[in-house]
Amino acid sequence: MEKIRKAWWLIPVVLIILYPVTIGGKSAYWSGILVFAGIYVILAVGLDLLMGFTGQISVGHAAFFAVGAYTSAVLTVKYGFSPLLAMFVGMLLSGTLAWMIGKPVLALKEYYLAMATLAFNEIIITLIVGFENITGGASGLRDIPPFSIFGLVLDNHLHYYYFVWAVVLIVIACSVLIIRSPFGRTLVAIHSDEVAASTFGVDCAKYKTRVFVLANVFASIAGSLFAHYMGFIAPDDFGVSTSVNILVMLFLGGIGTIYGPILGAIFLKLLPEITYLVQDYELLLNGVILIIVLVFMPKGMYGIFMTLRNRIFARVGK
Amino acid sequence: MGDISHLVQFFFSGLTTGSIYALIAVSLVIVYKVSQLICFSQGEFFIFGALTMVTLTSKGIPMPLAFVLSILITMAIGALIQQALIRPIQGSSIGALIVMTIAISLALRGLAMLIWGRESHILRPFTQGAPLQIFGATLQLQVFWIVGITAVILLLIWLFFEKTSFGIAMRACAENPLGASLMGISVQKAALFAWAWGSGIGALAGIAVAPLMFMQYTSGVMPMVKGFIAMSIGGLSSIVGSVIAGLLLGIIESYTIGVISSKFSDTIVFALLMVVLIARPNGLFSKS
Repeated sequence: MEKIRKAWWLIPVVLIILYPVTIGGKSAYWSGILVFAGIYVILAVGLDLLMGFTGQISVGHAAFFAVGAYTSAVLTVKYGFSPLLAMFVGMLLSGTLAWMIGKPVLALKEYYLAMATLAFNEIIITLIVGFENITGGASGLRDIPPFSIFGLVLDNHLHYYYFVWAVVLIVIACSVLIIRSPFGRTLVAIHSDEVAASTFGVDCAKYKTRVFVLANVFASIAGSLFAHYMGFIAPDDFGVSTSVNILVMLFLGGIGTIYGPILGAIFLKLLPEITYLVQDYELLLNGVILIIVLVFMPKGMYGIFMTLRNRIFARVGK
Repeated sequence: MGDISHLVQFFFSGLTTGSIYALIAVSLVIVYKVSQLICFSQGEFFIFGALTMVTLTSKGIPMPLAFVLSILITMAIGALIQQALIRPIQGSSIGALIVMTIAISLALRGLAMLIWGRESHILRPFTQGAPLQIFGATLQLQVFWIVGITAVILLLIWLFFEKTSFGIAMRACAENPLGASLMGISVQKAALFAWAWGSGIGALAGIAVAPLMFMQYTSGVMPMVKGFIAMSIGGLSSIVGSVIAGLLLGIIESYTIGVISSKFSDTIVFALLMVVLIARPNGLFSKS
């Protein structure tokens, strides 16, 4: 029994691998939706490291999603880079940028931090719109080549599905390892009491900047995947409303749990498919669902999932 | 001469948008001062006020009555939201509170879309008449209403917080909730009043500006963000500071659009915010 309890994560992994041969194999449409869901899982997991574990609020997570996407797009479209190389340049650029602004911005607390990150997101978007001869401005950038790995071109939805979800699993595995490492425990310590952590000799600014860099490198990867999968990007995809969406995924799924935001991201990406019949109510419904979760389920969907799991195992275990 | 008329024109339009930012910033500050909460749904109170007024006047209700009714309706919505949704999660983390007000904002925006549809509405000006010509620049009569309303509201708020015992009690709630409640002040009631007021002033800003801009269900987002910036530049709990910052923001924005370019005006505004936040985290005008 104990073995099953510890290896429960194998179930979703097997489901991911088996999905194409079971329900979704033929439907490019559903594979597409799951690719998007995967991209948002990467974003949400990154933000969870920053917000859920370290307690640093960000309303601008989409900024680095944009940096990744636009670096990939501009380098491949205008300078003929290979997508893989462009993605690495994007990661490097995002990491450097995050490292540069990390220390001054993360010195801010709570609402001030929320505002600074929101402002940063807007700055990135206005710059993208402004420098239209490089970025295509408000009308966007088209004809971005599909992803290719050492000559192998990912030219159908299923290829992308496997590629994106492989990246998702790597990101999740990295995050889980980080959280269980001394580095992760330091982050949690900073979250619960920064003053106490610094009296124990923790250089809080350094740790906060590091996790900020990491979360934003994840976001940059998600951005590159998005750009090459879509083939077309526009500034609207990366605005504050996208950042807010990622934030919502975090709280919907259960903040500070790594697995929760995954559920949140998948749920929120599938929701429009369920509610397309009541399109006019979509906005209202999103708001109401979130309100219900916040008021009645402070631990989010993951909390419900854990309660159910524990009940089932308690019964089976007897 | 032509140049001067342009510069005057930029000043007028800056003053107009600046007053709107100032009013929204003040409505945010009032809620923050009493309940230490920044309400991201303030932009929706802005459109609810404006669109309710549009509907009421189109039903033939006279302007002054419609004006009062729209503000009261929005205040009631704000109070209801505070009681039903904010109170139950008061002890939560700031992240959860921010997301809660965002959720409320989404729900209200969705509701506004169901009520008023996706199309834009415009309100009749408060007073009819040709725009004034000053130094070759045109000035809409509505601007006098906007600036006048802003001035009156600010005076009233100042009198309330400085001169009435209830206002002083509300300030006490913000500074020390436990101490205030030990002195027999109901912190709950103060938070409720702050929300009702905050939403009322948000609605007032919306109504004042409705004759000058097209209002639809998403029109509240940008004014809210700008009000938010004004509030943080001014210092979260400083009413005077946020008013000055709001006016400045409107004027800076108007001149950068006119003189430099419309492309980067928002970049400059947001960069200004980041610089202020990093250099003076408590705002330009706060005492501490």
